[in-house]
Amino acid sequence: MRSQIRSASAQPWQLGTLSAYLWLASGCIGQVDGVGGTTTPPTSGPPTSQTPSGNVVPANCDKAAPYRAPLRRLTTFEYNNTVRDLLGDATSPGNALPGEEEGNGFGNDADRQSVASLLAEQYGIIAESIAVRATVPMKLQALVPCAAKLGGAASTAAETVCVEDFVKTFATRGYRRPLAPGEAAQLVALFTTVRKSGIDFPGSIATVVEAVLLSPDFLYRPEFGVAVSGQQGLKRPTGYEMATRLSYLLWGTLPDSGLTEAAAAGDLDTPQGVRAAATRMLDDVRSQVTGAFFFDNWLPIARLSALARDPELYPTFSPKVGALLRQETQTFVKHVVFDTSGSLDEIFTAPYTFANADLAKFYGFSGVSGDDFRKVPLDTNQRLGILTQAGVLAGSVKSNHTNPVTRSVFVLRKILCQDLPLPNASLAAFIKPPDPYEGATTRERFAAHSKNAVCAGCHVAMDPIGLAQENFDAVGLWRDKENDVVIDAKGELQLLGAPYNGPVELAKRVAATAEVKTCFAQQWMTFAYGRTLADADKCTVDAVQGAFAKAGHNVKALLLALTQSDAFLYLSDEKE
Amino acid sequence: MANFQMNRRSVIRGAGSIAIALPWLEIMGTTRAAAATTKANRFLSVFTPGGAMQSPQNGSQRYWPGGTEAAPILSPIMAPLAPVQKSLLTIRGLAFECTEGSEAPPHNAGSIGMFTGSAPVQAAHGYSALPSIDQVIATRISKGKKAKASLQMGVRWATGLAKGRLHAANAVCFEDSATAAPIPPRIDPVRIYEDLFGRITPAQSNANPSALNRKKSILDFVDKKYVGLAGKLGQADRAKLEQHLEKIREVERGLELGAVAGAQCQAPKRVDTKGYNPNEGLLAEDEDTGATSTTDGMIPVVGKYIMDMMVMAFACDITAVGLLQWADSEAAHTFPWLDLPNHHHFYQHDGGYRPPELETIGIWYSKQHAYLLQEMAKVDMGGHSLLDESVVLFGSELGWPESHAQDNIPVMLAGGGGGLRTGRHLDFRGNKKEDDDKGIPHNNLLVSLLNLFGDPRTTYQQKGKDYCNRPFSLT
Repeated sequence: MRSQIRSASAQPWQLGTLSAYLWLASGCIGQVDGVGGTTTPPTSGPPTSQTPSGNVVPANCDKAAPYRAPLRRLTTFEYNNTVRDLLGDATSPGNALPGEEEGNGFGNDADRQSVASLLAEQYGIIAESIAVRATVPMKLQALVPCAAKLGGAASTAAETVCVEDFVKTFATRGYRRPLAPGEAAQLVALFTTVRKSGIDFPGSIATVVEAVLLSPDFLYRPEFGVAVSGQQGLKRPTGYEMATRLSYLLWGTLPDSGLTEAAAAGDLDTPQGVRAAATRMLDDVRSQVTGAFFFDNWLPIARLSALARDPELYPTFSPKVGALLRQETQTFVKHVVFDTSGSLDEIFTAPYTFANADLAKFYGFSGVSGDDFRKVPLDTNQRLGILTQAGVLAGSVKSNHTNPVTRSVFVLRKILCQDLPLPNASLAAFIKPPDPYEGATTRERFAAHSKNAVCAGCHVAMDPIGLAQENFDAVGLWRDKENDVVIDAKGELQLLGAPYNGPVELAKRVAATAEVKTCFAQQWMTFAYGRTLADADKCTVDAVQGAFAKAGHNVKALLLALTQSDAFLYLSDEKE
Repeated sequence: MANFQMNRRSVIRGAGSIAIALPWLEIMGTTRAAAATTKANRFLSVFTPGGAMQSPQNGSQRYWPGGTEAAPILSPIMAPLAPVQKSLLTIRGLAFECTEGSEAPPHNAGSIGMFTGSAPVQAAHGYSALPSIDQVIATRISKGKKAKASLQMGVRWATGLAKGRLHAANAVCFEDSATAAPIPPRIDPVRIYEDLFGRITPAQSNANPSALNRKKSILDFVDKKYVGLAGKLGQADRAKLEQHLEKIREVERGLELGAVAGAQCQAPKRVDTKGYNPNEGLLAEDEDTGATSTTDGMIPVVGKYIMDMMVMAFACDITAVGLLQWADSEAAHTFPWLDLPNHHHFYQHDGGYRPPELETIGIWYSKQHAYLLQEMAKVDMGGHSLLDESVVLFGSELGWPESHAQDNIPVMLAGGGGGLRTGRHLDFRGNKKEDDDKGIPHNNLLVSLLNLFGDPRTTYQQKGKDYCNRPFSLT
């Protein structure tokens, strides 16, 4: 057997290495179960040891069934935003933190946030530098307004009064809740201790800032909740906890004064109040930042400026163009979601995109000038919607050569939420992959996937999407021929109905599926709730999917619906 | 280069560690010199992705040494290691028995298995069931004794689909704890320098005591906050905060320990890494990087810099355990300085198995490894070299790039720590003439390595397994 392995040559399977870990032993047809159309791999839920009630599907959804709310730590994205809004520090200091675990695909999986030594070390280092920056003479006044009145030789008593005032304001914002009895005094005591040791006033204030930034109350989002009257075993987050939930979900940062005031007034204690706040927040430009983060993680566009392409094969492509392609997609989704229809269908079927002069030149669009992006019509014989944007097409190919498998896998996994088993080591040992040098076209090179029965078992469901995108080269530019052979861009996949021909027809087919809608909502729920969804989330999933469908698959309506689910409005009274 | 006095927290060192400020030679010199073998004081793992180009080309095999066990003859790919050959122990015929039958993709399984001897397991979210041996060794010889329990440094790490995030395809070190959580590497050379060497000033006297007390006050405060909040949470959430607090305390202890200063400790020369963006291709990156990318082209400069920093982290006794991860198993970077415009994975099999290019890459890695070992050999730790007191393990996640097969993985040891006997080539294939013989489970190597560091165990494998039954002597 070993010699057989050895003689094997090409191996296109590594594409799956970064996808969700799958434990399926066999079977290659995606499974979409009955839970609101979401795909739930049977064993991909959280480990049972961390599951308060087990992954049990609720019998019905008459009563709120929030399932789990494990303790969440701020992600790097959230840490950067929070420090910016708390201290006016826009240096993205969190970029010094080590990479998060990919986990649920958004790096915010609460079950996958272990603390490495490096993380603890870097938290300490960046907190110190943030605190120093926040207390330089230029900024101290803004941070500690009463400092101005202290003068050069202020008495200890006067300083203490000022610091008490500062601590209350600052820690309340940092902890995102009113301080508990004694909490302010502990921070003042810290100030006094270091001040007495000979550290100057700004340095002692910096000490307090540093301590708050290192506190678990700042780095984590603990929730204790309050009992919901008349419903045994059910809690809802406190008003301040709800303000925090809303703020991190929709703005990726700590609550602003409006949210905090709403919490104090009890406005966030009801689903209607939460809805009103969320509606206001979605109309604020800050929600677009979170939207951009979501799309960066959902689509293969975040790394485009680092895409390695051979300049001899692709002379018009450069890292600069890669960055513009990412900007194109981000500008496009922002336009659809926040500025116009909000329609998910439009994301997949829009007959236009956005470009500036440089990008238009790359694409071959005419009549676009200047650095600013503007709306440009597409040749709808070639392109339609997001799946035909060059950034998405280039980002789903790993090398200078197109690969229908990697493109298919992106669409199947991320856009349609289909489970695909990965070829494991044992399977790899039995299969002799095709020789990639044979044949003029990519389709020919991958022909063995359909001819060889062992390959076909999986690849019959994996290749047909990417094969219909073969009109786009490895940087996403249109081509009619490959090595002087006219490209055959036909495909057929049960999930997509009748056979289709070419990327535009494919885009329309994908857009028409039920899966594209449920999957989009599922991706948002995964991101929003910061964990991997499980069967026990049925009531939440049903409610969100239902609201999304009822709103004609309007994306903003979906985001609003995320705040109206059991998972968002309630807490289990069992502690994690 | 001036000698560096590592005095960050020297003031608050306990009385018991005062001796550490004495010159190194006075403490260690006589005893070490008298001993027949040098104690294993350092452990360094080196990871390169994609296995070895070891299938015969034109009738000859290009990777493994020929000759005899005692007088090996280096192959073309290992030829650059000739200057350090007497410090090398190459081992053929080790297989990842631990990943057999795993449902994980082979690159993931091998990345996890190489240093842990474990399959990816579901209970650990697809990561390891066991700690990696470097962490087990760190618990023995480094944690609580050195400024850093261990140091992980990566060159072009997680630049593929992982986009800078920790994943089963790029994690190779796992905590020595029940959860065996994956450990992220440091990837920014500027920051590594700053964090390890940048804050110490040449031959400066003790740091400002009030500054040290300030830090201590903060950490006392933070410690109480963690304890207080943890007490109010349920079991799983509490465990998260307790783990966090444990790490804070570990870092704090490290600061107090400081590092040993001595003639052998010289901060590496600061290298200008302009053009290298460690975040390129990662989510943390800013939107627009400008006209050209030079990051991959800077890999030779940055790789050397990181090797220099790793060597000095040992020489300065900042840590006793390290990982140098040249890339992860996605191997998504290119080699412009070798005139190879595709990424490493492409040459392994993504673009078809390409022996000539893989040989070029293999030779380049051999050159880097030779440099690393030579630099370690140059550091005088008091009558013996840094290399003499170290054990360096070189490994990969695959054996054969063309098939993902995980036997005959490229394993190379170097150093002399614990009496490691080098200048040899071991071959565990039963029938040495057959390329097909995969040899023995590599878990046996992991046990043997632990033994070098005084860990007496006789087996290292997942619960319920029984294949790790043939540890072999490395001395």
